[in-house]
Amino acid sequence: MSTADVQLIDIVKEFDSGGERVRAVDSVSIEIADGEFFALLGPSGCGKTTTLRLIAGFEQPTRGRILIRGRAMQGIPAYHRPVNTVFQDYALFPHLTVEKNIMFGLQMEGVDKREAQKRAQESLEMVRLPGVGGRKPHQLSGGQQQRVALARALVKQPAVLLLDEPLGALDLKLRKNMQYELKALQRDVGITFIYVTHDQEEAITMADRIAIMNAGELLQVGSPKEIYEQPNTHFVADFIGETNFIAGELRGRADDGYGAVTLANGAQLRARLAASLAAGSRSVTLAIRPEKIAIARHEGAPAATAGITQLEARIIAQQYIGTDTRYTVDIGGGIRLVARVQNTGAIAADTFAEGQTALVSWSDSSATALDH
Amino acid sequence: MSSRWRRIRETGFFLALPTTAWLALFFVLPLAIVLFVSFMSRGRGGVAELPFTLEHYQRSFGIFSIILWRSIRLAALTTVICLLLGYPLAFFISTRRRRLARHISLFLVILPFWTNFLIRTYSWRILLGEAGLINGFLLHLGLIGEPLSLLNTQFAVLIGLVYGFLPFMVLPIYASVERFNFRYVDAAQDLGANDARTFLRVVLPLTMPGVLAGCALVFIPSVGAFVTPDLLGGTKGLMIGNLINNQFGGSGNMPLGSALSIVMMAVVMLSLLVYVFGNRRERG
Repeated sequence: MSTADVQLIDIVKEFDSGGERVRAVDSVSIEIADGEFFALLGPSGCGKTTTLRLIAGFEQPTRGRILIRGRAMQGIPAYHRPVNTVFQDYALFPHLTVEKNIMFGLQMEGVDKREAQKRAQESLEMVRLPGVGGRKPHQLSGGQQQRVALARALVKQPAVLLLDEPLGALDLKLRKNMQYELKALQRDVGITFIYVTHDQEEAITMADRIAIMNAGELLQVGSPKEIYEQPNTHFVADFIGETNFIAGELRGRADDGYGAVTLANGAQLRARLAASLAAGSRSVTLAIRPEKIAIARHEGAPAATAGITQLEARIIAQQYIGTDTRYTVDIGGGIRLVARVQNTGAIAADTFAEGQTALVSWSDSSATALDH
Repeated sequence: MSSRWRRIRETGFFLALPTTAWLALFFVLPLAIVLFVSFMSRGRGGVAELPFTLEHYQRSFGIFSIILWRSIRLAALTTVICLLLGYPLAFFISTRRRRLARHISLFLVILPFWTNFLIRTYSWRILLGEAGLINGFLLHLGLIGEPLSLLNTQFAVLIGLVYGFLPFMVLPIYASVERFNFRYVDAAQDLGANDARTFLRVVLPLTMPGVLAGCALVFIPSVGAFVTPDLLGGTKGLMIGNLINNQFGGSGNMPLGSALSIVMMAVVMLSLLVYVFGNRRERG
């Protein structure tokens, strides 16, 4: 990672809503590196789009500073910022042809008509849509409009490209294809992408780093792997993928970032303490991903070793879902967990029947202790 | 949809029959008569008689062309002023966030229609007259030494026309701006257009249907206006509507009046063509 391309420093954005001050963005600080594919992820209304609009210059922050390539953006209108946006509904000008849509931004810079035409042509080729320049936007399919919107923004060669749920309106298959294409395109052009989405899978597959927002607050920033493997709040663990949550009591903290936790059924285990865990927290929530939990028969089970938690369990339900089998197990005291076991065997030899008892185990590092 | 309704939808020409008959009888037929009469000679008492002649058209474009041009000029000026006043107002009204604010504003725009047009135009005589309110006020302030001749001028006609037709400009533009998606403004600014260019290149073209409709609704009745110039214009503000009106009176000239009517209709048709082509270009 090289220099910071975009810096948000303690950004607050408040709106007036029926005489009430509503905080859409609450003290958010982010640094985004040059050439990074950065995703802003969160449920609708979490403030991610507002954050994007603040960077674009459509909104002014109530407090805080925005720097793009080291330059403070305060008082700089949208039309003077080195950023361009791909809008959720594309916002292609309906009265202009595709070519004129793409030329629009160049002509605002004073690029002469012939040069603008040439570059519009090139950018249409870049998004693999040559030959549609003479058409009006409404004559194109949703996927084509999406590419034109991309071409219109990229032809300006911005420092940063802002994308506001650009694939939201496309059907699933097209969306998958566009994910790969967008990622490849971003690598080719080397422009910083800031990508707003509520789709966790989209963020995980495309982004170099993800920022998770909820209720205007920034909860966690990290690589997809960090976000998934080491969620630092209950919300993040819940929002990304599937997670088991178990209530527990923190008995002691070790220096290595682990702690001893006792469950309601008396089971004692070790878990990784989330970085955000408050210093005085006693009652915690354990988060464990279903695919991290292994199930084994009593006979021939590996002996309990350090770093592994192993518990007795009874199979409550099983559900075959093709690649995996999903088991619901009871580890005593009414505590239920979901485990996902890959169907790697030639035949379903390793399956467990309902009512059967077994051993469930997971690595201590896969269990994260969080505040509620 | 029942088959009965489908039949109505597909072949329901009888739905248009009453109006067609009405217009054929009371519009197309009289128009044909007017066209016919316009080529006849003037007889005793101003009625039409044979032989056929082009004399009235020659006079329409001859000595009466001053009044024809004055009518077109006044109507065009009225349209431009209404546009300059009406567009910002319509924009303001349609961008109010609260529905109630929009509805009250629109109500205020059409409120003058509650009073008879004649009464409202007469009121302007009281305001504009030499002993009227405006002169009285200016004299009182000492800004002028003697009353200004406001009444019976083209200026007075212009004021009266703008006053009378402004709502016809505001309403269609309001409808256009209300439909306008302000995301396009974001997009234009994002692509480097400042406020003026955003307006000229994006907002104005996309609200052009409203502008064109408003212009047509103001220009067409303005060209043919005769109450306003009659009451406010005097002889200096005479318009083609007054001229036509006079030809059908006691000492009139029906063939000339008919020819003038046809010429005025031609002007209106031409302006409608501009409207239609303007609209088509916008839609592409």
